[in-house]
Amino acid sequence: MAEQHAHAHAHHHGEKHTHISRGTYYRVFAALMVLMVLTVAAWWVEKNLLEIPGWLAVTIAMSIAIAKTVLIVLYFMHVKISSRMTQVYAAGAFVWLIILFVITMGDYVARGWPPQAGPLP
Amino acid sequence: MSTLSLPQSSYIRDNSRTFTDWLKSWLLTVDHKRIAILYLLSINFFFLLGGLAATLVRVELITPQGDLMSSDVYNRAFTLHGVIMVFFFLIPSIPAVLGNFLVPLMLGARDLAFPRLNLLSWYLYMIGGLFALIAAVFGGVDTGWTFYTPFSSTYSNSNVVMTITGAFIMGFSSILTGLNFIVTIHKMRAPGLTWFRLPLFIWANYATSIIQILATPVLGIALLLVVVERLWGVGIYDPALGGDPLLFQHLFWFYSHPAVYIMILPAMGVISELISTFSRKRIFGYEFIAFSSIAIAILGFLVWGHHMFVSSQSVYAGLVFSFITMLVAIPSAIKVFNWTATLYKGSISYRTPMLYALGFIGLFVIGGLTGIFLGVTAVDLHVTDTYFVVAHFHYVMVGGTIMAYLGGIHFWWPKMTGRMYNETWGSIAALIIFVGFNMTFFPQFILGYLGMPRRYHVYPPEFQILHVMSTAGASILAIGFIVPLIYLGISLRKGAIAGDNPWGATGLEWKTSSPPPTFNFDKTPIVTEEAYAYPPEAAERDAAAWRPGSPL
Repeated sequence: MAEQHAHAHAHHHGEKHTHISRGTYYRVFAALMVLMVLTVAAWWVEKNLLEIPGWLAVTIAMSIAIAKTVLIVLYFMHVKISSRMTQVYAAGAFVWLIILFVITMGDYVARGWPPQAGPLP
Repeated sequence: MSTLSLPQSSYIRDNSRTFTDWLKSWLLTVDHKRIAILYLLSINFFFLLGGLAATLVRVELITPQGDLMSSDVYNRAFTLHGVIMVFFFLIPSIPAVLGNFLVPLMLGARDLAFPRLNLLSWYLYMIGGLFALIAAVFGGVDTGWTFYTPFSSTYSNSNVVMTITGAFIMGFSSILTGLNFIVTIHKMRAPGLTWFRLPLFIWANYATSIIQILATPVLGIALLLVVVERLWGVGIYDPALGGDPLLFQHLFWFYSHPAVYIMILPAMGVISELISTFSRKRIFGYEFIAFSSIAIAILGFLVWGHHMFVSSQSVYAGLVFSFITMLVAIPSAIKVFNWTATLYKGSISYRTPMLYALGFIGLFVIGGLTGIFLGVTAVDLHVTDTYFVVAHFHYVMVGGTIMAYLGGIHFWWPKMTGRMYNETWGSIAALIIFVGFNMTFFPQFILGYLGMPRRYHVYPPEFQILHVMSTAGASILAIGFIVPLIYLGISLRKGAIAGDNPWGATGLEWKTSSPPPTFNFDKTPIVTEEAYAYPPEAAERDAAAWRPGSPL
């Protein structure tokens, strides 16, 4: 048993360890702060300066949110330097999220069909 | 090892001198087997509590008038029954008790990958349960276990927030168990234990774990948003605040439909083990059963809208959901056909666990096929929110999950405790449960089809005969649940010493002593054969060993 243990230990140390440097963390943090400012700025512009159509406003807000999410998942949650298996699971979670969004939105989009028939009785 | 005494050292025994030490050794344990026992005790406690609430409901329904309790108290009684049974019994039952105990043993591992997370999951379960209990003591909830909005988020004058908090916390316990299983199954299999040599119980728990970690967070968010709307009036679900009540149903059923598979998939894993062992045959179509678990886990995520046919959900979405619902029948049927094919020409012995397994197959078929009725939009419009639905899901949940849970508890009882239970009483209890169960729930199919709505305590007098039958059946069922408590309790002191492998079963868990030592195996086992490798002569040996009166 002891031998096995020692072997496992050696194996553990033999693995290639990549890690994210402190500088990268600070840069990611700065990027997140910039994105936060962008979020607020976009809201402010829409409220005070320009008439932005709804779909465009949502697209802008979602793009900023996705950018933030990607940064957090890749760097703060270490998915960028994790094993392939962990990455597959992380990606799998997003596939499930897409299922949730797409099918739910399918209902919302199709609720008014057919439009000429008017609201359902 | 001798079959005359229990092993000198096992996970149950310890050297604590004082009571406090002993208590600490259990409450701070990181041994997966001890945590399984903690779960066993606490889950059975909640099962009894949920059973008490069910008793209230059934007693009220003996007469057509609402004479035992007011409609408001009745609402709280069936909600308590639903919340406790779903969140605190069915969802954790097989994974947290049998899975916790068996996954490392079946893999030839010393423990789960994250023993401390495992203990944390039990504490989270208990804290969640405590919240639900406090909510019940201070008046309960009247929303039904589904917490439909905007009633739950706006109008209900009951302990919604407290109960939801309980379910929310318990969700994390479920996620941690799933996470632990996935990592353990990927990383800690014994040498030679390839994916296609794994017991099917492991495949089933793997599929379950995927659902647990992917779906439970969505429930957490859905419930949290109910609380946000209720406490701060943020418009999410309430149309009066600009929200959409159907959004809640989408989010809720995105978890709660797969949650049905969290309950039934591990049960199917147990049944595969039992059928193979007590037929003395390799399971028929191993790969098909393994992949059908995964298929059910994935398809289970695509069908939630069939709970919403009679809502303002788009009829087109309903059609798509209905179609995909039919697809779930395929992997389910694959399992049932493979189990029956395993029985064919097997040396079948009707020991207690096998009685539960055979009961499971029959009841699950009824529960599953009535699910097909409900999945057809046209039929569903007729029976939505009637007792037909109640009967359907009880056939799956009780006839499926609880039968498998009890079968599994009996099957692995000698491994957990080192002692045998009384076989005669075991068989009697299994038969009582089977009879009581059918008498309780079969009349409910008829009731529902005739138009008896669920969640009502007053009903037209012509339904009384069926309701009385159902309550009578529930009384028999209750006796059936109490009998095992007694003889299993007695077996702890007086049961015959089981020995390592009383059933002559295959699988790594039977290769260690009963009860197993703390680290499961003295030497890491090496696997050189496939699962359920019963030799052809196993059946003949069984036949030769048969004696008059022997239950084999």
